[in-house]
Amino acid sequence: MARRSPPRNGVGGHDFDSKKKRKVAEIYQALNSDPIDVATLRRMAISEGGLLTDEIRCKVWPKLLSVNTDDLPPLPGKELREDNKDYQQVLLDVRRSLRRFPPGMPDDQREGLQEELIDIILHVLKRNPQLHYYQGYHDIVVTFLLVVGDRLATALVEKLSTHHLRDFMDPTMDNTKHILNYLMPIIDQVNPKVHDFMQSAEVGTIFALSWLITWFGHVLSDFRHVVRLYDFFLACHPLMPIYFAAVIVLYREQEVLDCECDMASVHHLLSQIPQDLPYETLISRAGDLFVQFPPSELAREAAQQQAERTAASTFKDFELASVQQRPDTVLRRRFRERLRAEERTESILAKPRTNRLVKLAVMGLTVALGAAALAVVKSALEWAPKFELQIFP
Amino acid sequence: MGSAEEDYNFVFKVVLIGESGVGKTNLLSRFTRNEFNHDSRTTIGVEFSTRSILVGDAVVKAQIWDTAGLERYRAITSAYYRGAVGALVVFDITKHQTYDVVERWLKELYDHAEPSIVVMLVGNKTDLAQAREVPTEEARMFADNNGLLFVETSALDSTNVEQAFETILKEIFHKVQQQKQRNSQSNTVALASGSPDGAATAQEEKRPCCVAI
Repeated sequence: MARRSPPRNGVGGHDFDSKKKRKVAEIYQALNSDPIDVATLRRMAISEGGLLTDEIRCKVWPKLLSVNTDDLPPLPGKELREDNKDYQQVLLDVRRSLRRFPPGMPDDQREGLQEELIDIILHVLKRNPQLHYYQGYHDIVVTFLLVVGDRLATALVEKLSTHHLRDFMDPTMDNTKHILNYLMPIIDQVNPKVHDFMQSAEVGTIFALSWLITWFGHVLSDFRHVVRLYDFFLACHPLMPIYFAAVIVLYREQEVLDCECDMASVHHLLSQIPQDLPYETLISRAGDLFVQFPPSELAREAAQQQAERTAASTFKDFELASVQQRPDTVLRRRFRERLRAEERTESILAKPRTNRLVKLAVMGLTVALGAAALAVVKSALEWAPKFELQIFP
Repeated sequence: MGSAEEDYNFVFKVVLIGESGVGKTNLLSRFTRNEFNHDSRTTIGVEFSTRSILVGDAVVKAQIWDTAGLERYRAITSAYYRGAVGALVVFDITKHQTYDVVERWLKELYDHAEPSIVVMLVGNKTDLAQAREVPTEEARMFADNNGLLFVETSALDSTNVEQAFETILKEIFHKVQQQKQRNSQSNTVALASGSPDGAATAQEEKRPCCVAI
């Protein structure tokens, strides 16, 4: 895997138009059916091109997050900024986020949006005192603001913050670090060579921190790519961004292996994300990887990574790991099979990696994304609330 | 200013720390690329840039790590202090609060870095003189009392940026030389050691590479 293939983004003109038209029709059909066909909407958000236009996103994103657009929270008053512990930091981060706004936008319009951005962030934080601001949160919120406007953005971001982003908004980074711990096990499953190289370099996973907690909004300069990824992530399991991060590393296999094997060099290489990634291909790969190696399969290894570094909070990690085990029957069976296989080999080192690689190569891109999508999307929203309960028993 | 394959005699790892928004990223970009960005985006996690300078006859490659200033990121960034031989603790001369917490930053630093680390206190944003909240003398005295180098800079108009980095790199260089002389009989190396290609990393030896399989 991880061979460079030509980007699928630039599908030819006429064919693309008719495909797009068909997709738009299908999306509206799903929106207009009663009850709304959310499963189809998820599939549309994941499959090639995502949700296509901001007009559609305004309608579909709320459905993906189960947000009722008839009952939006009231806009905040002026008192919001008074005595607010986060105001100064939010102001600082929003003021220097000029590059997140469209290049040609007039200054006064941009400044107006920046004020709205500050208000949305403070509003959500105020309504949810258990949530803590982090730098990068503004990169997520600005994406919603630019696509759906302030009123709807507030509702969507609030839902997102109590679900997908919840772990990033703890008082400490422990849970964020835990999620980063999934990165190396995913890479190991697909390409042990890259994994071992990175382990030897002791590069860690911090190069992927901003990718994860901003859903790549902080590092991608083309806004179209950002919203395309948001379509994907909104339709998927909250851990999907870490699978996508792994797919990017794997895609850069050769660069990584050619790099000098030390922490600084590898960190530097990976931190600089290429701007011309073949997003559709990578999205499809991330979906496939999720299906083949669901979080439940990786949970133990992720927890182990943590344990290797520090004994503290290991128990909590295991607790979290067990919560993440929500496989459907197929995945559960696969999990059992793997356990049995491991019992046979009795050794982590003798893990049947080669088989997995072969399997992956065969399945590769031929796995219908539809199938991946179905498995991926099932647990997106059911997952988080329970997760939260475990953090605050 | 550094091609990929430049020759160098020493690599010094230096960290930039201090509160969010004091100008760490711009100090770094001014030094390594002679650039200043008014909307330099928030640093999330850690990043680094390099630049080589001449100290005496030796080419010193500075590997300067820029860190996120927000408190919550400290658990992550402090791991990167390991192996640093120099640190710039930056505050904003127009925000007293960023100076008040310098002591906390120093503690954080000494908790995670080598005791021999060379530390420089940097008061940044001197271009905003009319908004100054931290008197130069106050900061200088603090630096003197705590054995820190001290300089005031403006990443925006370039004042003293070059000088700040050169000063600390020279200081590290001298320390390395002294250490070398002192350790010439023994094999223990605290601050620097030679590596096979004649370069010396500031910390430990370079690990042998690992492209096996």
